[in-house]
Amino acid sequence: MSFEYHEPTSLAEAVDLGARFGADGRFLAGGTDLIIQIRRGKLRLRHVVGLHRVPGLDGIDANGSVTLGALVTHRALERHSAFQGRLRALVEGAEVVGGHQVRNVGTVGGNIVNASPAADVTPVLLTLDTTVTCAGRGGERTLPLDGFLVGPGQTALRPGELLTGLRFSALPGRSATAFLKAGRRKAMEISVVCVAARLTLDAAGERCAEVRIALGAVAPTTRRARAAERALEGRVPTPDALRAAGRLAAAESQPISDVRASARYRTLVVETLVTRALTRCLERIRDAAS
Amino acid sequence: MTKVALTLTINGQRHEVLTEPHRTLLDVLRADLGLTGTKENCLEAECGVCTVLLDGRAVNACILLAAQCQGRQVLTIEGLGRDGQLHPLQQAFIDHGAVQCGYCIPAMILSAKAYLDEHPAPTEAHVREALAGNLCRCTGYQKIADAVLAAARELAHRR
Repeated sequence: MSFEYHEPTSLAEAVDLGARFGADGRFLAGGTDLIIQIRRGKLRLRHVVGLHRVPGLDGIDANGSVTLGALVTHRALERHSAFQGRLRALVEGAEVVGGHQVRNVGTVGGNIVNASPAADVTPVLLTLDTTVTCAGRGGERTLPLDGFLVGPGQTALRPGELLTGLRFSALPGRSATAFLKAGRRKAMEISVVCVAARLTLDAAGERCAEVRIALGAVAPTTRRARAAERALEGRVPTPDALRAAGRLAAAESQPISDVRASARYRTLVVETLVTRALTRCLERIRDAAS
Repeated sequence: MTKVALTLTINGQRHEVLTEPHRTLLDVLRADLGLTGTKENCLEAECGVCTVLLDGRAVNACILLAAQCQGRQVLTIEGLGRDGQLHPLQQAFIDHGAVQCGYCIPAMILSAKAYLDEHPAPTEAHVREALAGNLCRCTGYQKIADAVLAAARELAHRR
């Protein structure tokens, strides 16, 4: 591994370096994926552009809608007071990533750009209808996270472009989120399957007004289970209806068999975890109301 | 390859280092500064034997570029004891027989220190979670967890 290292001190300078190096360079956030890929020889780069001295990329603004800078660490997500209530799934996703050493430096922006199909926080962000903002020489553009993720390790980022931040709306009342992960051990584990869910009930608290379900490790990207979402919206969330949503999500998943689990097993786990995550959302809405 | 001049503060001492930009903090600690208490193994942030504290937080030195540590505080196992006295964590590891081959221990102790600095009264489950990023192939972890809990009590007693 051998490259030139650059540390821009402004966003404009970072964008400039990105545009100049194009596919010969990459931006460095926490480095928990990038440095390993470089060392393995999977990435041959002439330039690495460290982002830690660019001001304003590590902020969390949770007054009203939520804005996360790309350099917000998993540790910061885990500990932020704004995420202990309706947005609890963000904490649940962040706190199972690696060990403390990785969560102390690994960033939410880096996790998205790394585009692992088994990413843990990304499914949670998908359930929040998150948009991502990218900066390049042509200016800034904002696009839905759903659609930004193209394939394993692939995103809609253009060469030289930089992910600067994420944004999603605050959740209305009668809403909750939940994140569940299946692995062979409790820590330091790449997900066999992970599931995030968000449920918003109608004003009467009886029917599902808005449902989001997202899956990890069962498709080339983390992805939403739209048929399952649609089947629940407008319906009373009875145990049977939640189980039916689990079955639909399992039918929508496209898992592979690999060293961690078989495709068949993953499909079964999706069904169980989706039902469970939705049930947990419902319990949380009821707990918050009581 | 252009070298970069870095000022690193390691165990409270300033070091001027001239190094290639791709070299990690682990490379510089072990090869340039002779601080071999920080160990090298998987080089992929899985095993945790390279753990040091960066501004008080546990990090894997194997995936951290030395250049990223410019102007920041690094603590390695060599800097943990004071005035020839072992840190209570070090003493507790000895007292509880928590060390066998020893390879994982400097990192184990630093992870425990970072955790206890923020959580002075942990449960055993908390300690085990705090050390999840540090693998040990010898001890089975029980004596390590016992030692960290004992050190937490000793540190609380001294406060």
